[in-house]
Amino acid sequence: MKVKLWGTRGSIPAPGPETIRYGGNTSCVGVTLADGSMLALDAGTGIRCLGLALPDEPTRLHILLTHLHLDHIQGLVFFAPAFRPQTEIVIWGPASPEASLRDRIARYISAPLSPVEVRELPCDVSFRHCPESEWEIGSARIRSASVSHRGPTLGYRIDDGDSSLAYIPDHEPALGADLEALEEDWISGFELARDASLLLHDGQYTDAEYPDHVGWGHSATSHALSFARRTGAERTVLFHHDPLHSDEQLDALGAEARERWGELGGDAGAIELAAERNEYELPARAAKATATA
Amino acid sequence: MSFVTQKPLELILARNLMSALSTPAFLVDEGGLLVFYNEAAGMLLGKRFEELGTVGPQEWGSLFGPFDESGEPIPYDDLPLVRAVRAGRPAHAELTVRSTDGSRHDVEVSAFPIQTPHGSQGAIAVFWPSLAGGNGMGPG
Ligand SMILES: [Zn+2]
Ligand SMILES: [Zn+2]
Repeated sequence: MKVKLWGTRGSIPAPGPETIRYGGNTSCVGVTLADGSMLALDAGTGIRCLGLALPDEPTRLHILLTHLHLDHIQGLVFFAPAFRPQTEIVIWGPASPEASLRDRIARYISAPLSPVEVRELPCDVSFRHCPESEWEIGSARIRSASVSHRGPTLGYRIDDGDSSLAYIPDHEPALGADLEALEEDWISGFELARDASLLLHDGQYTDAEYPDHVGWGHSATSHALSFARRTGAERTVLFHHDPLHSDEQLDALGAEARERWGELGGDAGAIELAAERNEYELPARAAKATATA
Repeated sequence: MSFVTQKPLELILARNLMSALSTPAFLVDEGGLLVFYNEAAGMLLGKRFEELGTVGPQEWGSLFGPFDESGEPIPYDDLPLVRAVRAGRPAHAELTVRSTDGSRHDVEVSAFPIQTPHGSQGAIAVFWPSLAGGNGMGPG
């Protein structure tokens, strides 16, 4: 499985000279499975560039949405493959008692917010609520689970061969909970991330910033590290950077995270910050993930 | 891999909320098994949840009662918490619980089910000091 980060920012795009290295696009991760099947995890503004990188030929794509906050769907109407009749797109996302996934997404892909309506998209698009049990896409087994954030929100786990990717970009598992003391089965998102080869996890706030953002649905650095340690993820990438964080601030946050991880007894190389266009190759047969930046 | 051990998010969030409350509160899963009670409940019972852990109906009854107004033990299945989770309806009762030091506390119990998009996931019960009799319950 190949994993490529197309958007690593949270909340709102943050382009500019101060965010050039970690990137300003909002959440989107491209995944190519061992059998060649293609997935996009979330459709923030990063999915625009993912779309431009795809060949203009008949394609079937699965977009797995964690939730419908704008930073996770904003790129949908600028996703080039959606405007090709030969493309088939399956959009997966959380169910809600209030309205179907299609109707909730149509609130954004409709006038006056959007120049096109869902029914006008030239591609063959369908919408599916994530099932409660595991399902298959191509060579992978997919699992979703509700996680602690604001509103119905999922995290995903993708198992392909011996490798596993856990994607939990918007997550506040430490809300009202002590992640170091709590039993495993009481930790939000635990089963998704357990022993994952690669964990992409919310690391929006520094520990100093978190007290002013309790209940906003995101993690402080130390929460993300505790979650990673408890779940036994082999390698953790802190994701969903705060739009206020410049490259310099993120460098400092990354250095601090590695130091703290070392103090917790971990290998400092197993923690890093998400940077746009970084790629990870997760071998189909058991071995550690290798990165090419 | 197995996912069977993970608690539903709604139970996790309920426990997080209950942990922050000063009112005694109890949580059962969708099978009616007591899976958590908070510190205030621990003070009332004389035993913290962390010491007791998850216990079955029999042990629960022998430890704490509860008892009806005539002093008879109330069957586990008739407790408001268990009624709420089984029937998917709120339940209310006045009862007496016995703490580990033998003292008895008259309480009013309100229980409500935790309904989610995936059906009922459990129930929460909150204890209030009974207005009728003194029971030694502090503000917690
Ligand atoms: Zn977000
Ligand atoms: Zn969000």
